[in-house]
Amino acid sequence: MNNRIREYRARFDLTQDDLAKRVNVRRETIVFLEKNKYNPSLKLAHDIAVVFGVPIEEIFLFGEE
Amino acid sequence: MKRGIIALLVSVIVLATTAYWFFGTKKSVNVHEILSFGVIIILIGFGIWFVVRRFSAVRSGEPQEDELSKKIVQKSAAWSYYISLYMWVFMIWLKDRVTMKTEEVLGAGILSMAVIFMFCYIFHRLRGVRNE
Repeated sequence: MNNRIREYRARFDLTQDDLAKRVNVRRETIVFLEKNKYNPSLKLAHDIAVVFGVPIEEIFLFGEE
Repeated sequence: MKRGIIALLVSVIVLATTAYWFFGTKKSVNVHEILSFGVIIILIGFGIWFVVRRFSAVRSGEPQEDELSKKIVQKSAAWSYYISLYMWVFMIWLKDRVTMKTEEVLGAGILSMAVIFMFCYIFHRLRGVRNE
């Protein structure tokens, strides 16, 4: 599973720290997500999608490596 | 915060008892004891690093634990449990071939378990956790 968190973060002018605080995780978790080293829970994926105001599938690209 | 304080407390107690054991003994220390002391110091260093990370997360307004850190600890614990089973089998095999007291075998086994957990934790922190 790939994701477009970095791209959306740049679009919304958010730092990793800002996004981490808004979804209540550590900055390290955002780093792991952006490096595709971690697959988030459904809740975290939902929270991130809510921050960017788009559906989950817009951020997380399923079935792609 | 509670877990951080407990980890700090355990580290301090282990450090104090290790120092008492190592420096309080009248007899000369052997290689096995020096090795054990070194491993314990490394483990205490790992414990203190773990605690410092938690406190610095709190200070910077981040949660002490989140879903990734919990998963890393859980996966490390599971892996270290499986690996420790084989380690104990090896220790039993070793005990019949090397002259070691039972308490030395137990001590070495317990230290090895802690070292195995430390390596599993570092491995998962570097590799990440993916649902493969």
